[in-house]
Amino acid sequence: MSGAVVRATGLAKRFGPLAALQPLDLTLAAGETLALLGPNGAGKSTLLRLLAGLARPSAGVLEVGPDGATRPARRAAVGLVAHATFLSPQLTARENLTLAARLYDVAKPAARAATLIEAHELAPVADRAAGELSRGWAQRVAIARALVHEPRLLLLDEPFTGLDPRAAEKLAERLATQRGGARAAVLVTHELARAVQLATRALVLVRGQALAVAASALASTPALESAYRDAVAALEAAP
Amino acid sequence: MQRWKQGTSAALVGLGAWWAWAVWHAPLDAVQGVIQKILYVHPPLAFAAYAGFIGAALAGGLFLVRGNERFDRFAAASAEVGVVFCTLMLITGPIWAKGTWGKWWTWDPRLTVTLLLYLAYVAYLLLRSFTEGSERAARFAAVYGILGAALIPLNYYAIELFGSRALHPDNLERGSLGEGMGLPFALGVFATLAAFAFLLVRRFELGELRAARAEQLARVAQREGA
Amino acid sequence: MNAFLAVLWKDLAIEWRSRDRFAAMLVFSLLVVLVLYFAAPPSLDAAQNGYVPGLLWVAYVFAGVLGMNRAFAAELENDALSALALAPVDRGFLFLGKATASFLILGVVQALTAVFFALAFTLDLWAVAPQLAAIAGLGGLGIACAGTLLSAISVRTRYREVMLPLLLLPLLVPVLLAAVRATTQLLETGSLPWPPIQMLIVADAVYAIVSFLCFEFVLDE
Repeated sequence: MSGAVVRATGLAKRFGPLAALQPLDLTLAAGETLALLGPNGAGKSTLLRLLAGLARPSAGVLEVGPDGATRPARRAAVGLVAHATFLSPQLTARENLTLAARLYDVAKPAARAATLIEAHELAPVADRAAGELSRGWAQRVAIARALVHEPRLLLLDEPFTGLDPRAAEKLAERLATQRGGARAAVLVTHELARAVQLATRALVLVRGQALAVAASALASTPALESAYRDAVAALEAAP
Repeated sequence: MQRWKQGTSAALVGLGAWWAWAVWHAPLDAVQGVIQKILYVHPPLAFAAYAGFIGAALAGGLFLVRGNERFDRFAAASAEVGVVFCTLMLITGPIWAKGTWGKWWTWDPRLTVTLLLYLAYVAYLLLRSFTEGSERAARFAAVYGILGAALIPLNYYAIELFGSRALHPDNLERGSLGEGMGLPFALGVFATLAAFAFLLVRRFELGELRAARAEQLARVAQREGA
Repeated sequence: MNAFLAVLWKDLAIEWRSRDRFAAMLVFSLLVVLVLYFAAPPSLDAAQNGYVPGLLWVAYVFAGVLGMNRAFAAELENDALSALALAPVDRGFLFLGKATASFLILGVVQALTAVFFALAFTLDLWAVAPQLAAIAGLGGLGIACAGTLLSAISVRTRYREVMLPLLLLPLLVPVLLAAVRATTQLLETGSLPWPPIQMLIVADAVYAIVSFLCFEFVLDE
């Protein structure tokens, strides 16, 4: 059990009277990539933000990373890529990465930033202010930023939006290498084809309730489409 | 909840009646006349006003630590009831001031602190209503409540020491209460606190009922729509 | 500790590059002094001018409120606020970083305002400059600490920038009273009076400790 990256039992989130996430049990091991599917407002982003440590659960137990970690330590195990880029617009890409390295207590922050710039091919924009970058470039810097501390859990909230096909393919390649590695990932996406390409498991969320999809459905896009439709129908019919 | 409601009703009626009798029979102050009897009303209101804010701060703190929304609802109730008593303080204060010193308002430490407490209360309630998201509102209000409560004593000392120089010789210290004034004063304090508790329990219940209703409606809406 | 320095560096670096927050605070502060001069001109009879030191603090508080508003407004871009919230540190250190940066920026504004104020109201502030700096520093620290915490709260409410003064001013009263008293007595006697300084230290400590402990909850969603 303590080898798992994510261990959640009865994890739930309410906003006042609204139950955004019904009690959920989830275990995620290293090397697994979980696709979170579902219509808008289903609770996918909520779950992601709970895993990231940005919000506190209303109920249940959530452990990310090492056993019995405090809240700050749990955040050390997580990297998040979301709709917003988290970059300070007045700082250059390089400075943003260095800053992130320092916030995450990475040894030799400047060197780490340089390594990331090289690994993610960010040299053309490294010394331009983040506020001047196009959506695509900014997103790529944001992804590098999420990896600055080598997180054990990588969370991605629709990371392909705004990326041109080439950049999207490169990202998909990078994510594909996570499979079977030491890192676990959770990917929120609308594109079922991406889920098939990258995920090892899939969970469908409708109105805060989750239903797992059989692993076999991830074999091909049509299979996943059909399994997805069935899951959504089943969840919508539930009381 | 029923027991609390009955208990506070009984306390309020009993203490209130006893207190009214005591005030009626209390001796008239030689200098100030009947207006002096506000002594039995105004300072007791202060206890309730402070109790409201401190209650909100403590409940807020418990909410932050435990995450149980009931604490937040209690904090909201405590603040709302407290602000009522604070308003009454701000009304009776000037009445007393006019009767005693001939002016509606002075920057006497107690009046000033009351005004500041009132402003802090209002800011607290505004913060609650202007924050989107009930959980966020609860958290922010809790933090502000704690900060405010920590500063009330500081406010008081600052105004006493450095505030207006026109410190009026108010002898409200216990020892200087005249003959026959002790009982109505003490009863005033307890009766006011009973009134506070009476209102608090009912306001809290209202909050709980609203939350239950909202939850019901939300569940229905979730079931029907997408 | 790293996080504290990182946030401090970030705020100061950003401020150094654009200087917009500093400029706005300074210009506003000078304008306030100007308005105060015309609204409440000092009389030729020095004995009637006991209220004048308080005016300096009016300018400081207004500049402070303006500056604190900008402290977190910038973090809303690209959701940099969440970026801070994600950091694997005790969020109190993030608070310290931002509060220190605000304190330093405010400090420079305070110094320049004092010069202008001395000219406008014909006061010899240079003679007591170190002591005045101490008072201004302690007052500024209170404004920075409470202001940073409440700024983080108010930027996520419906009336953002209006909310901050509403929340902040009632709480700044002890600091304001003590600072004005200290400044007045300093100018009258030439030496620092201990009681108001004591109050300033206590108030600052309360703000700093409560804010440090509560910041974890403030940065949650």
